[in-house]
Amino acid sequence: MEGTLLFLMNILTVGAIYAILCLALNFSAGIDGLWDLGLVSFFGIGAYTYVLLTAPEAASYQDYILGLNLPIWFGVIVAGLLAWVLALLVGLPALRLKREYFLITTLALSEVLRQIYSNELWLTNGVAGMYNIPPPFRNGDLSPTSASFFLFLLLIGISLLTLWLVRQLTTSSFGRSLKALRDNEDLAKTAGINPFTSHITSYSFAAFFCGLCGAFYTWYTTIIVPSMFTPDVTFFVWTALIIGGLGNTWGAYLGGFIFILIQEGLRFLPVYGEAATTFTSLRVALVGLILILILRIRPQGLIGERPLKTRSLTN
Amino acid sequence: MLDIIVFGTISGSIILFAALGFSMILKTEGFINVGHGQMLMLGAYFGLLGNKMGLPIVLVGILAAILCGLVGMLIFVVFISPIKTKGILVCLFTSVGVSYLINGVTGAIAGKGVQAFDLPPVKAISISGYPIATPYEIMVIIFGIVAAFLVHAFFNYTLMGKSIRAVSDNQDLAKLRGYNPRKTSLQVWFLASALAGIAGVFTGLIGSVHLGMGWSMLPIILAATVFGGIGSIYGVMAAAFIVGIAMEIGILVLPANYRSAIAFGLIVIVMLIRPEGLKSIWDSVMLNYRKKES
Repeated sequence: MEGTLLFLMNILTVGAIYAILCLALNFSAGIDGLWDLGLVSFFGIGAYTYVLLTAPEAASYQDYILGLNLPIWFGVIVAGLLAWVLALLVGLPALRLKREYFLITTLALSEVLRQIYSNELWLTNGVAGMYNIPPPFRNGDLSPTSASFFLFLLLIGISLLTLWLVRQLTTSSFGRSLKALRDNEDLAKTAGINPFTSHITSYSFAAFFCGLCGAFYTWYTTIIVPSMFTPDVTFFVWTALIIGGLGNTWGAYLGGFIFILIQEGLRFLPVYGEAATTFTSLRVALVGLILILILRIRPQGLIGERPLKTRSLTN
Repeated sequence: MLDIIVFGTISGSIILFAALGFSMILKTEGFINVGHGQMLMLGAYFGLLGNKMGLPIVLVGILAAILCGLVGMLIFVVFISPIKTKGILVCLFTSVGVSYLINGVTGAIAGKGVQAFDLPPVKAISISGYPIATPYEIMVIIFGIVAAFLVHAFFNYTLMGKSIRAVSDNQDLAKLRGYNPRKTSLQVWFLASALAGIAGVFTGLIGSVHLGMGWSMLPIILAATVFGGIGSIYGVMAAAFIVGIAMEIGILVLPANYRSAIAFGLIVIVMLIRPEGLKSIWDSVMLNYRKKES
């Protein structure tokens, strides 16, 4: 019973991280209409920044830079900021491109970053990765179970905070101007909205949160290897967002949890040995099938985007 | 120096097969078909199967191409066609879903390990004692160049090719003139997937076969497509070889693992200088060529 609870708690911990990623992506892709296929770039930069800043100095058998042993909160914030800076650097040229080209550039960039993590030994210890990243609350005072419990509470809390913040932003005049741009760029321009500044603001805002999530994710995994940052992450977050409902903040939030429940819940089925490898492959196929079916049956997701409530001018 | 040209042409041929189909689907269907990389992987696994059954390698290539083509048509009919009117985003992510579906099912059947074709060992053909390339590699190059000419002939001199061009240029006008867009789409999916299947067999011939090969080829396909200008057949042909050779030159200075990073570097350069890719150049060349012809 306790095992089940612990398992569920872990699922919800990852679910919270995915929910934040979905909220971030929903802001740039759902509200603003930027089809970013390179979300994992910011997730990965955040994760590596966090680990390199907070890890102890590299041991003799390892090879990575920094290892400054800094406090974790400092690491988390710099992780977000660096992702934000990367988004500005990428966005400056890429956001001027047409939609297809933007999509291609962001996707290709995320692959290149992954190759850098794998190949630059001096920077990241390469494919061997780094292990034993200490999560918060694991300083010996608490049992591992209660440490997991506090991590779970912390991430749920952060995800709710993000939800509140994104909701505020979405209904703010900035959020409404993004929707206006998405729906009718020419009309929005005549209303005095600058497309480029708006896009780069929403893009880098989303990147900041993806960077934070990268750091949070290493708390959960306690390891960091380049294979954690394949475009799969980008596509999984998109899938989660589409399940929940592109353009709807609550939909994005719940989509993250639902996706992780489906994906991780399948681990619960008792399969052993030879069948287990077959089963992991079939899990991948199932994710694909769910995505196809959702798009076919309910392309607006579980909770679709609702029109903004506006006060009528005549009242 | 010769090495660079030889290997660059080999990868160029493979990219050509992979990127041509991708570009054709992008042009006729109007969305980025992420699943195209998986057709390449599927081709390699079909090739592996044929190879294990002891079939001659040329026959294996042909069978893999046909099987991939049929799978491509099936994907269009079952998954893409019903949602085609729902917008680019829905199409794009349906193709992502199809990618995972194909990848997962292939993995479940074939297993996760890295595999290789079982080929009789061959000696590299050498010119004045200097080894150049194995017969397999030479076969890849010859097929690549022949394919480029065949595709040119197909689009310019056959009715099917002309109808594909007509539909991709202007679907409504083509419909008005009596072309059937659905039939054309089916042909495009067959042809594009078959070409990707051949690219997969080639990749397997000179390298190894594994589940990630479709994903790792995707950035290179994207690079060739952007470099050639989206939707331009001739641009893509030239770009495939340019990207192939550029990658070989690039790994003289960078570690070999950075092949697709180099391809990406090319995308960035092209985007900054000429956002519409080589297309504008190629279009003007072709326009002059046509003018002279008539």
